[in-house]
Amino acid sequence: MSLRQYEILFIAEQNLGEAEVDTLTATVKGFIEKENGTVEKVEKWGKKRLAYPIGKNREGSYVLMLANSPGSSISEVERRMRVTDGILRFLAVRIDAEMKKADRKRAIRGKKESTRRASVREKDRAFEGGAQ
Amino acid sequence: MNDAETPEFKGRGGEGRSGGGEGRGGERGERGERKGGGKGGFFRRRKTCKLCSEKVDYVDYKNTKLLLAFIPERAKILPRRMFGTCAPCQRKVRTAILRARQMALIPYSTE
Repeated sequence: MSLRQYEILFIAEQNLGEAEVDTLTATVKGFIEKENGTVEKVEKWGKKRLAYPIGKNREGSYVLMLANSPGSSISEVERRMRVTDGILRFLAVRIDAEMKKADRKRAIRGKKESTRRASVREKDRAFEGGAQ
Repeated sequence: MNDAETPEFKGRGGEGRSGGGEGRGGERGERGERKGGGKGGFFRRRKTCKLCSEKVDYVDYKNTKLLLAFIPERAKILPRRMFGTCAPCQRKVRTAILRARQMALIPYSTE
């Protein structure tokens, strides 16, 4: 079973204290671990003002998690988060593929970019020549 | 259809539009290069993709600072022709903005 890397961000309700947010985080962690996943990193952003009110909440506590989980079980984790009280919103994004792509791009950038720019410039010139 | 339009926009078709856009986007002047157009003393600017030139490989929805550059004033996503973003980058920006909106990091709209 291959694991995929996910980035899970959720917003806890504004009336929850820090300790309650911590227990909520532990709960979500439990969801992931129950489904044979692991949590790599937990990042607490603290209370932030929401860009728009969600329900009656104008603020929310953001918690970001980096998790490795089998792809088939992330939907179960999402379902459990949906029914958990205290979570306003959540978003699970798969990032391993994107990161791989970004790394590859970084690796081959140097020469590729210079040649591409040159060819674009050439095409532009050819177009102008044809128009006049 | 989009593919067919692109070369024209980059070439001569861009003249009128980028001329009109000059007044609105003040900071655009520093990007792209100034070139004499074919007719009537118009200046044509070739807009370059900001994300490609700044080597942003992964457009992160958590990076609100970057995303806010694409949604001025009314918080609407600006069309590609305003920013000169290339198609793949614009798609990435769009996805990131939609995600950030969902997570209340950036607004859907402002009054």
